[in-house]
Amino acid sequence: MPAAREVTVQLTVNGVPRAATVLARTLLVHFLRDHLRLTGTHVGCDTTQCGACTVALDGVAVKSCTVLAAQADGHEVTTIEGLSGPGEGALHPIQQAFKDEHALQCGYCTPGMVLALRQLIADHPNPTEDQVRHALSGNICRCTGYQNIVAAALRAAQREG
Amino acid sequence: MFPADFAYVRARSLDEALDLLDEAAVAGEEAKLIAGGQSLLPMMKLRLAVPQVLIDIADLKELKSGGWYGPGTGGYLSYSIGALTTYRQLGRDQLVNGGIPAGHAGTPGPVGGIPAVTDALAVLADPQVRARGTIGGAVAHGDPAADLPAVLLALNAELAIASRKGRRVIALDDFLHGVFTTDLAEGEVVTHISINAPDARASAYEKFPHPASHLPLAGVCAVVKLSEGLIERADVAVTGISPRPYRARKTERLLVGADPAPGSLAAAAAQVAEDTSLLGDQHASAPYRAHLAEVLTRRALARAIARAAAA
Repeated sequence: MPAAREVTVQLTVNGVPRAATVLARTLLVHFLRDHLRLTGTHVGCDTTQCGACTVALDGVAVKSCTVLAAQADGHEVTTIEGLSGPGEGALHPIQQAFKDEHALQCGYCTPGMVLALRQLIADHPNPTEDQVRHALSGNICRCTGYQNIVAAALRAAQREG
Repeated sequence: MFPADFAYVRARSLDEALDLLDEAAVAGEEAKLIAGGQSLLPMMKLRLAVPQVLIDIADLKELKSGGWYGPGTGGYLSYSIGALTTYRQLGRDQLVNGGIPAGHAGTPGPVGGIPAVTDALAVLADPQVRARGTIGGAVAHGDPAADLPAVLLALNAELAIASRKGRRVIALDDFLHGVFTTDLAEGEVVTHISINAPDARASAYEKFPHPASHLPLAGVCAVVKLSEGLIERADVAVTGISPRPYRARKTERLLVGADPAPGSLAAAAAQVAEDTSLLGDQHASAPYRAHLAEVLTRRALARAIARAAAA
């Protein structure tokens, strides 16, 4: 198959098969936001530092601003929209913990924080505070000072564990 | 922000990737290989890299397998890691669940990993980047401020490279040339990295990170071998302060036969930035980076020696 400037991307997003033909240079985050209208995944920087675009790719948290949609062809993506439970207002345990601990103010970084913490709890069901802070080293929050995010992570882990 | 326009193709095998590289060369197009893309894509977004063709090698099974090779350099067995191994896989699957073995001549067996690698993986970039970034990309990129190349240098790593002309093996020390330049020629693919450390339990990586980028303003890896209470051999590699990660040969020579006491470690560490050109920028001046390297060398040596005592 020759190299092409346009590629057809087929992937599973939040359990639903999706497909679109896009420019090869399309980043996964733009594919999700602009083509699939899943705008819960945010863009907060240009340099792979802020983590607001974090999604799970084949179950592992990655920064969707630093993955091409073409690289995700044939793979599975979970976004913040895919986390909440069935029914109106049903929250994922991490989302509920964020609400309980007041772990967000403007909320811009929150989807990425939740996806990063979901990975932490999958890897370490009973994380220490130190592990939580390390797990968030790729996510930036400019409102909360992180304190309540860490509290929410520990509370969520306790509930899930 | 997004990259400039390019053509994309996903190779299904090493053979196909090599064909695609040759086709691009014949067509006069600049082709780049992409695996995890955690260094390349940020550069493409900033338009610091503008390849015309991107060849995705993430599916190449040939670059995922690892295992024992040997006996390699010095009669020791060496352990080979597939170039597509991500930092996350390296930290979880290989080191934790079985370990990169020490490579003693004799029967291969896990020894619980190499502490310097574990040190580096804990402070390298962030968890999301570690989930996609690959060990092959880390060396092929030639970043003067990458963490893992310093560790691999101290472990006397060698690279296996494939091309249409055949296969070759090169020491990482010979492969790294300068700022983002390596020995990798057009049409070549790094397939494996092998570690020949006879025993790397007494090892440590110390780093002073830039608080925003997490890149090392200076990073030092030390691998020490003790014999009858004295240092028999020390392999020390430095990153972040010069055009390429380098081996601090003068420091290493001073440590051979030395007492592993703070005084002799400090005297050797004081020479760590000798015989190298230094880099400085708006984040840290060259003399400051050299100072950091000296301090980190003392710490890495002390930690490696403490681990030798505990082993």
